Amino acid sequence: MRRLLGVELLKLRTVRTPYGLLAALVVMTVIFCAIESTKGYAGTGGVASLPTLAGQTTVTTITAWAIILAAVLGVLVSAGEMRHGAVLTYSATPKRHRALLAQAGAAGVAGAIFGLCGGATSTVVGLAFVVAHGDAIVLGAPAMVGHIGGAMLGAALWAAIGVGVGALVRSQVVGVIVVLLWAVLIESFVGGVFPSSRPYLPYTAATTLAGTKLGGAAFGPAHGIAGSAPLPFVAAAALVLAVALSVGLVAAGTTLRRDIA
Amino acid sequence: MAVIEVCGLSKRFGEVLAVDDLSFRVGAGQVVGFLGPNGAGKTTTLRLLLGLVSPTAGEALIDGRPYRELPHPLRVVGAALEGSDAHPGRSARDHLRVAAGLGQVGEGRVDEVLELVGLSGSAERRVRHFSLGMRQRLGLATALLCEPQVLVLDEPANGLDPEGAHWLRHLLRDLAGEGRTVLISSHLLAEVALIAESVVILDHGRLVAHSSLEELTKLSAGAVTVRSPDAERLAKLLEGDGAVVEPLGGDRIRVRGASPEEVGLLACRYGAPLSELVTETAGLEDVFLQLTADVPAEGPRA
Repeated sequence: MRRLLGVELLKLRTVRTPYGLLAALVVMTVIFCAIESTKGYAGTGGVASLPTLAGQTTVTTITAWAIILAAVLGVLVSAGEMRHGAVLTYSATPKRHRALLAQAGAAGVAGAIFGLCGGATSTVVGLAFVVAHGDAIVLGAPAMVGHIGGAMLGAALWAAIGVGVGALVRSQVVGVIVVLLWAVLIESFVGGVFPSSRPYLPYTAATTLAGTKLGGAAFGPAHGIAGSAPLPFVAAAALVLAVALSVGLVAAGTTLRRDIA
Repeated sequence: MAVIEVCGLSKRFGEVLAVDDLSFRVGAGQVVGFLGPNGAGKTTTLRLLLGLVSPTAGEALIDGRPYRELPHPLRVVGAALEGSDAHPGRSARDHLRVAAGLGQVGEGRVDEVLELVGLSGSAERRVRHFSLGMRQRLGLATALLCEPQVLVLDEPANGLDPEGAHWLRHLLRDLAGEGRTVLISSHLLAEVALIAESVVILDHGRLVAHSSLEELTKLSAGAVTVRSPDAERLAKLLEGDGAVVEPLGGDRIRVRGASPEEVGLLACRYGAPLSELVTETAGLEDVFLQLTADVPAEGPRA
């Protein structure tokens, strides 16, 4: 299994896609972080004032793009395999679930790196706004490290979910659309209409692992709707893990049965 | 024991019966051409052989077991299906490094196969910039990477220029000389006739012939054209000897059912001078076309 994981990581290292997605997540995180920080100082958009702990937590935990793009990477890993390289991979590894597991593992490692970069970018940009305005940093280092660690975990799990989705739909375009629709539209809509369901929505739960307030990673009007309290860290992690395992099991079942044509 | 054994293999994709009760065997060290027109079911059969597609019925075995049960499959079978399926954004060297990792061979072997297929100078180029011929070479390099004893090659000459096709023939002859078993698919008999010892011919998913090239060549022998100033008398003599004679006009006749030697001896015995004695060869391609033209289809082709 370690060998297969090493091969999948080598595959990721030797194409440009992961680097492109990483660059995109940094750019998107900077933009969203700058917008939220500006709102925090302007007192608009429901963002707490930046000199406060709540305000600094908000602008240093903008890791939604890390999670979304990690899932996109996961889709590209497994669905891309069907487009290029399936004959080699599955003729070398006839026990296909092992190949899929290795893909999920490699995407998980890359997802953790995405989470690290997203968390670090958000922290640096958010605190840069605070320092630039001459305010004190009240958010402690342990909290920052915890948030970044949570972002790494959330992005890693969503990368694995992406691998499952990609293996199920076997189309990169469809898989990416599914992930984006779920994270950007469906969860924002469902969470906005039924705020009490928010803690149990997998993308939202993953964002709370990184310290984002519940619903803070929603898009559109749902972004400003206050809701209930998030699940505790372990429960949220277990929920996202359970989703990843469920999607993975279904994907493994179909990958074993389907023809590689 | 046969290295490759296909027994009653069938594969149906919905309404399409792509492979229909196919059986054949390939012995160790044989080079076998796997022939059929486009859509005959060749690629599906090769995918069935490699465990990429599950059979509807029957089985395909390599070394006596299904591909999926081989402990180190890439070391047993090297496959190049429809050229290289390498990621276009990856360099040739990195593609082979990935394959080396999957096949558990050292990365040192990567440079050896790049050299073998003539891609050393393009090793760092991304596959998307490769021509079709270069992709075919990369596919062959991938197949040869783990030094397998069995090679399964799907239309490896597609996209190769004449020089490349010449190179491929030499490479495959060398590999056969090393005792490897090679199953090479093609829709051109002439292409594999230069390297294969025997052929399996498929049409509409069914086996239409499995014979040595020698036997196939015999099938291709046709009529004898004779030119003689005494053609009319010679024709009567040949018909009396059981041959079928067709007048071609003037002093020429076409004779079926008698070899050139028999025609010559008869003419000599009865003093009929001959000015021309030519064997009309139908040609291997004609035989191939004839064999693959007679099979009625069951449903649309794959």
